[in-house]
Amino acid sequence: MRKGIRLIFVIWFGMHALCAQNKQLLYDFNEIPQSLMLNPGVKTSEKWHVGIPVLSGLSFQAGTSGVTVNDLFADDGIDFTTKVRERVLDAMTRKDDFSSTSQIEGFYVGFRGRNRPDDYYSFGMYGETDIIVYWPKDLALLAFEGNGGDNIGRSFDLGDLSLRGEMVNVFHFGVNRKISNDLTVGARAKLYSSVFQFQSIHNAGSFRTSPGQNNVYVSSMVADMQLQTAGVKGFYDILDEDTSTTTKDLTRLFTKRVLLGGNLGLGFDAGFSYNLNPQTTITASVLDVGFIYNSKDIQNYTLRGNASTEGITVFLPEDINDVNNDLWQELVDDIEESLPYEENSSGYISLRPVKVYGSIRYDFGEGDGRSLENCGCGVNMERGGGMSGIYRNSVGGQLFLMKRPRGIQPALTGFYQKRLGRTLSLKTTYTVDKYSWTNIGLGLNLQAGPVNFYVLGDNLLSYRNVADSHYASLQFGFNIISWNDN
Amino acid sequence: MKGLFCRLLVALIFFSFLLNSCSEKQDFDQFEDLSITPTLASGIFYLESDEATINAAGDVGVFYAQTVNFDAFNEEFVAERLLEGTIHYELENTTSKRLGITIEFLDENGNVLDVESFTVEPNMPEVFTRDVFYGPGGKSIDILVTTSSLRISGGNLSDSTSVSSTSDPKVKLSSGAEFLFRLK
Repeated sequence: MRKGIRLIFVIWFGMHALCAQNKQLLYDFNEIPQSLMLNPGVKTSEKWHVGIPVLSGLSFQAGTSGVTVNDLFADDGIDFTTKVRERVLDAMTRKDDFSSTSQIEGFYVGFRGRNRPDDYYSFGMYGETDIIVYWPKDLALLAFEGNGGDNIGRSFDLGDLSLRGEMVNVFHFGVNRKISNDLTVGARAKLYSSVFQFQSIHNAGSFRTSPGQNNVYVSSMVADMQLQTAGVKGFYDILDEDTSTTTKDLTRLFTKRVLLGGNLGLGFDAGFSYNLNPQTTITASVLDVGFIYNSKDIQNYTLRGNASTEGITVFLPEDINDVNNDLWQELVDDIEESLPYEENSSGYISLRPVKVYGSIRYDFGEGDGRSLENCGCGVNMERGGGMSGIYRNSVGGQLFLMKRPRGIQPALTGFYQKRLGRTLSLKTTYTVDKYSWTNIGLGLNLQAGPVNFYVLGDNLLSYRNVADSHYASLQFGFNIISWNDN
Repeated sequence: MKGLFCRLLVALIFFSFLLNSCSEKQDFDQFEDLSITPTLASGIFYLESDEATINAAGDVGVFYAQTVNFDAFNEEFVAERLLEGTIHYELENTTSKRLGITIEFLDENGNVLDVESFTVEPNMPEVFTRDVFYGPGGKSIDILVTTSSLRISGGNLSDSTSVSSTSDPKVKLSSGAEFLFRLK
C-alpha cells in the first residue's frame, strides 16, 4: 500500500515535471507541416507532405506553477514534512495547477489541389491526452492540519477542488486557401472520439467547525460537488476483474474507443495569415472549438446539501421519552440524509479546451535566392507573396490564450527565426506564462532532401536541473515533403 | 561544403543541449518520512435540562440516565490512527440544585472502561471546565479506541422543591474533543 502511494506520488510529480498546450515554437514555423495544425491559415508552400506514421508529431508537455520535483525530493537533508509544509501548503494557492498534455500523431497527410493549386488539403488522426488539476489548497490544509486547533472557525472552501482530464482521438480534415498574395485562410473540421473524460469543475461549498451555540463545537458543511466521468468505469471494471485476459480486454476497449466506438464530438479550427506589407505578417487562429457528448459508460458522483451537527444532543424535558440508545447512528443517518452522496449515469457535454493564437512577424535580411532555386516551391512561395522563406530572419511576438476550468490562461512569446539556406531553420522563443518567466525555447527544422525532421524544446534553461523545472516540453517528428512534381 | 558543415554543427550543438539535460540528485524515498497528523475537532455530547425536570425526578433522584451507542472512536479508520486526544467538558448550572453527572465509557460488552464524574454546585457563577487528556502522559488511548457506548446519568443531590430565582434555570453539560490522528 505504502509503495503504491509512493508510486502514485512520484508518478504524479514526475509526470508534471515534463509540460501546457502552448506550442509557441511550432506556431507559424511554416517550414514544418505540423504548423498547419496550429493555424489552418498558415502559409503553405508544399506540394504534398506525408508524416511518418506515429513519428510525424510527438509532443509531451507538463507544467506546474507551484512546487517542482526538486523542491520536494532534492537530497538536501531538509525534513520532508517541513518541505511539504513550507513549499506546498504555505506557498501554493488555489490558482496553482499541475497540467500535462501529450499528443501523438497517428498519420498526417497534406496535398495541393490538382485543379485548385491555391488550396492545400490536409487530413489525419492524432491522439491527445490533457489533464489539469488545480491545487485544492483548503482540502489539502484540512487533511494536513485538520479542523481543530488554530483552524477552529476557519471555513474550508470545497470549491478548491477542480480538475479535468481526457484522452481523445481526433480525426481531422482541413482546407488551406490562398485568397490573395496577402491573405491565406484555413479551416479544419474535427471529429472527436473520446477514450475517457472526467471533470469536477463547478464545485462549491464549505466546511467549518466553530464554537457551537449549545455544545463546544458545531461542524457545518454546505456542498454542491460533482465528479463526472465518461469512459473511466469500463477500464476500471476490466482492471478490477483482473483476469488472464485483462491486457487483451484493455487493448480491445481502447481500440474500440479510439476508432469511434465511444463518445463522439465535433469541433473546428480556423485561422489566417495576412501581410500588412511585404515584410510584416499577422496571423491568428482558434483551435478546438468543439464539444464531446458523453452518453456511454457514464458514472457521476455528487455530494449536494447542507448539514450541521453539534454531536449528540439531549434536551430535557423534550427528549425525556426518547429511549433510543442509537443516537450516534441516528446522527450519522441525519447527516447522510441532509448531505447525500449519490451516483448517477446522466450524460453530459464536455467542452474542448479552446485555444487561441495570434502573432505578428517582421521578416528581414533578404536571401540570395539560392534557397529557392531547386525547391519548386508552391503557390505561396513567390516573391511579393510575402513568404518569409526569401528572408533569412524573422522576429516577432505571439500571444496564446487557452480556456481552462478557472479562466483564460495566457502566454506571451517573443521569437527570432533564422533560416540557413533551405536545409536548416532555427527558431528561438522567450515565453512568459504562469509556469515560468524564464522560458527560452529552441526549435530546429532540418530538410534533407524530401525528408523533414524537426525538434522543438522548451524551457531550455531548466535543463540544467530538469527536476527543478516548472515547465518542460518536447516536440519532434519526421515528414516527407515534396515541393514539386519530381 | 563549409556551409553544410556549419549547419550540421549547429544541429549537433542543439541536440547536445537537449540531450545533456541533467538533474540534481533526487531522493524519492523521502516520501516515507512524510508525516501527516491532523487535529480533528468535534462536538460529542450535549445534555440540557430545566429545573422542573430535575424536581420531577424527586428527592435525590436520577433525572436522566441513558446509554447511547458511540462508535465514533472505535471505527477502524479512527482506532488505527488515533494518537492522542483531549475531551473538553463544560458545565453550567443555574438551578438551585446540587447535581451529580457521570459519564461512563463502556466497551462493546458493557464493561466500564473509564468514568468521568462531576459534582456541580447550585447557582454556579461561572462555567466549570475540565480537560481530560488521553495519550502519552494522560489516560490510556485504549479507553477511547475501545469505547463502544457512553452511559450518561444525571442525579439530583438536593431537594425536589426549591426553585432558582434566576430566569430559566438550567443545567448544561457540553463536551467536545480534539484528536490527533496519523494519516501518514
